[in-house]
Amino acid sequence: MPANRFNAFTEYGIGLGLRIPHYAHILERKPLVDWFEIISENYMLDAGRPLHILDQILEQYRVVQHGVSMYFGNASRPNRDHLRKLKRLTKRTQTPWISDHLCWGSVDGRFTHDLLPMPYTWEAVETTARNIREVQDFLEIPVAVENVSSYAEFHVSEMTEWEFLSEVVERADCGILLDVNNIYVSSKNHGFDPYVYLDAVAPERVAQIHIAGHTKFERYLLDTHDHPVLDPVWKMYRHATKRVGRTATLLEWDDRIPSFDEVHREALKANKFLPHAKSLAA
Amino acid sequence: MPKASPPKPVKLADVQRLMAEAVMRPLRRDEGMQTAWKDGSPAAEVAARIIKPNDRLSSFERLQIYNQQYWWRLLGAFGEDFWALRAVVGTRKFDQLAVAYLESHGSQTWTMRDLGKHLEAFLRAHPELTAPHTRLALDVVRVEWARVIAFDEPSQPVLDPQKIAAISPDGLRIGLQPYLTLLELAHPVDALLHKFKERRIETGAFSNAVAATTTRRRARIVARPSRRPVHLAVHRHELAVYYKRLEPEAYRLLTALRDGAPLADACASAFAGSKDLPTTSAEKIQRWFATWMQLGWLCPPASDRRPQAAEGSPRGA
Repeated sequence: MPANRFNAFTEYGIGLGLRIPHYAHILERKPLVDWFEIISENYMLDAGRPLHILDQILEQYRVVQHGVSMYFGNASRPNRDHLRKLKRLTKRTQTPWISDHLCWGSVDGRFTHDLLPMPYTWEAVETTARNIREVQDFLEIPVAVENVSSYAEFHVSEMTEWEFLSEVVERADCGILLDVNNIYVSSKNHGFDPYVYLDAVAPERVAQIHIAGHTKFERYLLDTHDHPVLDPVWKMYRHATKRVGRTATLLEWDDRIPSFDEVHREALKANKFLPHAKSLAA
Repeated sequence: MPKASPPKPVKLADVQRLMAEAVMRPLRRDEGMQTAWKDGSPAAEVAARIIKPNDRLSSFERLQIYNQQYWWRLLGAFGEDFWALRAVVGTRKFDQLAVAYLESHGSQTWTMRDLGKHLEAFLRAHPELTAPHTRLALDVVRVEWARVIAFDEPSQPVLDPQKIAAISPDGLRIGLQPYLTLLELAHPVDALLHKFKERRIETGAFSNAVAATTTRRRARIVARPSRRPVHLAVHRHELAVYYKRLEPEAYRLLTALRDGAPLADACASAFAGSKDLPTTSAEKIQRWFATWMQLGWLCPPASDRRPQAAEGSPRGA
């Protein structure tokens, strides 16, 4: 099961998030990296330095776009202006698929800039699937939705998170960006078995996997992306890759970012778990 | 009879509206969530209407995590864009004005780049938030917002000098690049910011050293107004943001062009009341135009522009 229609049948290995502190290192030393994931919103611009850097990266590397503000779960429909800008960027990057989160984040034109958790209701299933279909039709490339880490659950929920995810992706006919760290964080915060979640995910829909570090507080875990990946998350990653096969994997490290080499070393640990690993940088 | 509590919201839009309202309410001074809702009822009751408690956290505490994340994220982005304003009014006052501003002008787009779009107007309407440094604060905010514009605002194709030469100045209209901002300031903000940054580098305030924290807190920008207005262009050149001082006549000329005046009228208004000889004025204009062309500031007027694609050619397009 090397790849699927939700990642455009590509054979991507282990990627890294493209972050500003690493620009100089990447452009000067040109390290061997399978691919870079960019945050779409950082480059949905008309001009300036970020686009100039991106073009230089594109000359050397494959890039996959990941978004943080499409808010598929908003009660309102996707913003057309946002979609037009996003589509223009996809033409530039030639991203084989695009991902964003299974969450909501704005109401009545006010943006929280957060990935807020969904109430797992049938109404939310229908609304979210409608929004994903609309985005997928507009962009004309496969869309993968990422499960978020959460710190709250709603009274109105009518199903589990993994049931909600499954219902949404079936109705939208889209892919999944499976974030194993987010599942772990949410499992600790809400008291469920993360392996039950993993086993409920349709393996044929998993386009990409995220791994990351998190922070333990006294009474909850916070998804901070400022640490190496913790052992329980690596164990879940092993379990996930056994189910879904060789899948494009990305390490997220967004805060207190260490040197490029340190981040890269941490990401390449995933090679131990990927079946038939043939990562360029292995 | 006790008042009946409002029903728990069920519809997706209602749940999201109530949660967003709670998340965007300012934090208490100790950075916790406000304990009273807007109608005076306990916020814990509002939280309990939508959020389940668990064995470690109450509904209120779970909602508080999102409330804190919202404010810390927005204040962090706002503070990065307006670090010099912080140095003018001081950290405590800056934090207060930031919350007041963001409460009334929360983000209305998917990007936090535009957070400061209405800050100048807001501070003009609320001088108490920057007193007694209001004039300096306003100058600094204008420059800091101009920096945001200069960083990534689109550019237009530059004017062809041969085409300019072929048109009579009486009918020639010239536009300015959208990323260029012209400012008339009471303070030499460019020099102040430069000096402030140098001082911070010298004292190590840009490092992560613990000792630097004290220096950073104390660092302030203090200045008296200049004797004459300072005319400043904030622009982009080869992907970097720059300041360029302008002579008053050059500022007036550029401003007139930006406002749509034909070249001849713009030149006349720039030198109205000037004691310069016509030949001197003509030499200055020629020199300025050579520089502005070199910097790529001049472009077709807005009325002549076609919608532009992003800079550079999209791959595979």
